[in-house]
Amino acid sequence: MMQDTRSDRTSRLLAVGLLAAGTLGCGGGGSGGSDGGNDYVQGSDVPASDADAARFLTQATFGPARDDIDFLRFIGYAAWFEDQRTLPISKEKPYVDALEDDGKDLNQTHRMQIWWKNAMTGKDQLRQRVTWALSQIFVVSDQHSALYGDVKGLCSYYDILATDAFGNFRQLLEHVTLSPTMGKYLNMLRNEKANPAYNIRPDENYAREILQLFTIGLVQLDPDGEPTLDGLNQPIPTYDQSVVEGFAATFTGWTFENAVNWWDWEGNTKPMVAWPDYHETAAKSILDGVVIPAGQTPEADLALALDTIFAHPNVGPFVSKQLIQRLVTSNPTPAYVGRVAAVFDDDGSGERGDLFEVVKAILMDDEARNGHTTMPDTFGKVKEPLLRMTGLWRALDAKADSGKYKVYWPEYAFGQAPLRSPTVFNFYSPTFSPPGTIADAGLVAPELQIATHSLIAEGTNEFYYLVFWGHSDNTSADKDTVKIDLKPLKPLAADPNALLDELDVLLMAGSMSPEMRQILVDHLNATPNTDGGRQRVLEAVYLIVTSPEGAVQK
Amino acid sequence: MNSFGKRLGGGASRRDFLRYGGSSASLALLAQLFSMQRAARADVGAGYKALVCVYLYGGNDSFNLIVPSSNPEYATYAASRQNLAVAQNLLVPIAPATSTGVTWGLHPSVPELATLFGAQKLAIVGNVGTLVAPLTKAEYESGAVEKPPQLFSHSDQSDQWMFGSAVTAAQKIGWCGQVGENLASMNPGSVMAMNISLDGSNTLQMGATVAPYILGVSGPTELTGFWGSQGTLRRQAFDALRQKSNTSKLSQGFADVLNESVTIEATISAALAAATPLATTFPTSWLGQQLEMVARMISVQSAVGQQRQIYFVGKGGFDTHGNQNAEQPDLYADIAQCLAAFQAAMAELDAEPNVTLFTMSEFGRTLSSNAQGTDHGWGSHHLVLGGAVAGGDLYGTMPDLTLDGPDDVGGGRMIPTTSVEQYAATLASWFGVAPGDLSTIFPNLGNFSAPTLGFV
Repeated sequence: MMQDTRSDRTSRLLAVGLLAAGTLGCGGGGSGGSDGGNDYVQGSDVPASDADAARFLTQATFGPARDDIDFLRFIGYAAWFEDQRTLPISKEKPYVDALEDDGKDLNQTHRMQIWWKNAMTGKDQLRQRVTWALSQIFVVSDQHSALYGDVKGLCSYYDILATDAFGNFRQLLEHVTLSPTMGKYLNMLRNEKANPAYNIRPDENYAREILQLFTIGLVQLDPDGEPTLDGLNQPIPTYDQSVVEGFAATFTGWTFENAVNWWDWEGNTKPMVAWPDYHETAAKSILDGVVIPAGQTPEADLALALDTIFAHPNVGPFVSKQLIQRLVTSNPTPAYVGRVAAVFDDDGSGERGDLFEVVKAILMDDEARNGHTTMPDTFGKVKEPLLRMTGLWRALDAKADSGKYKVYWPEYAFGQAPLRSPTVFNFYSPTFSPPGTIADAGLVAPELQIATHSLIAEGTNEFYYLVFWGHSDNTSADKDTVKIDLKPLKPLAADPNALLDELDVLLMAGSMSPEMRQILVDHLNATPNTDGGRQRVLEAVYLIVTSPEGAVQK
Repeated sequence: MNSFGKRLGGGASRRDFLRYGGSSASLALLAQLFSMQRAARADVGAGYKALVCVYLYGGNDSFNLIVPSSNPEYATYAASRQNLAVAQNLLVPIAPATSTGVTWGLHPSVPELATLFGAQKLAIVGNVGTLVAPLTKAEYESGAVEKPPQLFSHSDQSDQWMFGSAVTAAQKIGWCGQVGENLASMNPGSVMAMNISLDGSNTLQMGATVAPYILGVSGPTELTGFWGSQGTLRRQAFDALRQKSNTSKLSQGFADVLNESVTIEATISAALAAATPLATTFPTSWLGQQLEMVARMISVQSAVGQQRQIYFVGKGGFDTHGNQNAEQPDLYADIAQCLAAFQAAMAELDAEPNVTLFTMSEFGRTLSSNAQGTDHGWGSHHLVLGGAVAGGDLYGTMPDLTLDGPDDVGGGRMIPTTSVEQYAATLASWFGVAPGDLSTIFPNLGNFSAPTLGFV
């Protein structure tokens, strides 16, 4: 099982004397020890400051901890990416399988335990963060009646996204398509060929959403992600209803790998398999005039269908822009989208759809690295509520005595929980632009769609509890209370500016404005420092994480 | 009545509800409503009006909610719907004031709606959907008349219902948001928007400059934790941080919501704390909880000081691609029970003439089946409920349910015979939008012979 990354790594860094030593041995020390045996050598492409490192890690992980910042500043970006690429994958299904083997009756709380554990302590942070982003594009949800009780199905689905996060998009598309979890959610499972005698025709749900939401979108895009306009300045649809019906017929004949009868209601989590008797074998017209010939096998039909979608020029800009929005900034310039989409189209070796290179291009782009200074009024994104929470906890090394993260229903305070979107349209729209400050500036702010008057207050109150109850000096907290570690910060409290310097890096990647700092300094100076620093630390942490500046990743 | 050709038959007048009230159960309910009315407080000010949108997310299959029960029409319905059809003998009969000879029944899981229909509080508007202009099947196929963009897509069709026009738009402004801005002078000095949502953010209530106030089902959330002298100090710092201006537009956007949340919460919480509890009990479903909070808010309308309010509540689960026969009865039953409870609460508050509730949903569904359920359609029937509603009747033109018939563009996707704009303009007109302003909010309204339909 995964152990705490940071403490393992800290001890290793300390052992070799991080800043003095030229190399950093690892070799899988500690009980976790799953760094893949990488040896760490001091890199040349290191972030110039702690704040730069923290900004990168805010985009690329579930939040920077002090050790992560030091580590990145030692090995540099290129080695960091390579390290992340090769680390073992933190998965969900083995965890719930083990619980079931122990006699547990699985429910969604068990899935949440392992999601939080991986988000908080998984060493493969980049992969986990990208998986989380992909789960908001290739949406499935336990709010659907067919998935509410399907813990193992949802965990295996999340593992597919994690496994393919650094793979090829075509492969991801196939694995998602054949997942029985997606099959249940968007009804490709047991989708059957037409039966005109009963006015039965193939189900269109998956056919429509794989196009609209997962791959190409509704309108033709230029390579920079902007809609292509016709002579009347109107967007051009990518497909029509007949194309949806063509794909619907193509996606017939698939059910559970272990189904005995076509109509079996439940089955295992392995990729779906085809039952040719239920597959539509007539010719099918799909995207851009491609015709799937009559008489092919279901497998051959599926391959041609997915190849056709994958080859569509929209896929690169469509997927790249959404990944940029999930990781870096809500309002990327078209040029930035275009640069990333170009990497999607060709990673430099001729491969199309290399997601690892796409992610790297997103994070290493000049706009990602320097947008906070070149466009300070528009760059960045409102932090997703769950990322505000993981950011706080990872920055301050939060853990429970039990070692568990029993965060089961975060949607009540935050409007967001893993694989728990209300619909296939995710928690928010990539184009959400509320009237007022955002719309007036011509911007979008997807995450503000769930920062409602109600949830923004609920979230603020939740942070009050998380900070003022969940801390390491609270001896009344039970063994499952996740507690932030005050020890490294309390010694700084005597000097408010020193405390704020550290918290600015850890919680805001150095983006705190002078005005905000002044308000905090005044408040800390007015707060007596008579308890070894605890109160001042709690005050500062709470006020930062609930502030409008702290709520935005820049 | 201002129903023109779209009204079935035309010329009907309001009738004695006892003639059509039907079952003894419905009479008992009405007796209960009236007794509550007598006990009610006069909380709702004269001239107050509220619209309540019940949004059915996913595309409601209303063709099983309202079903022709006379033999030839039922046979057509059953032939199209096959394994999805509701049995003829289970339909709950309703008796529309205007008859064309076709008889109608409701799904067996919604007897409460039949009662409300019989009491003339509920109207049914048939086959409403997104249209640029009236459209025949031939025109649909030839392209001679413009079609709404991105038909059958959830997000686009939902947006178009909410925009009140069949267009794509970069800035999403809803017709209720526009109505709120059009009538803003009705709520002078109000701390919050006219539009209030119990189901989160939505396009319908977005104005050009004003977003809806979004409320939880337990009421507004007060910020907690500012206790004692240290808490007072912390609150001062918290307030300074949220009230300072920000270079980042994103931070400022976040601060705007937080500031509104704090300001409005104080007003609403105080009003609700002083309110008399409602005697009406609501279903505990999500829809029931939302409508109960709407009723509580209406009960303190005079304390809040708004003469016009537009509420939004939502219910999901209507995208019944799979397992429709098992799930649909529960979906319908929840609507019926929640609407009945809401109307009872309005009676308790003596607010029935002041409040009009209506349904919206992005599309109807295919008459044909995919073996387990239905796919995205187009036109669908809708419900309008309230004391001001000319209830007990069907409005619009009910479609021909023949597969591949004159109203079907394929698979049983019905071309709407009433546009969203006519439906919405009727509601906006009742709410007080001047006739001359309707065409600004609903840009295609002039393409239809009857701008409003007279159901309220």
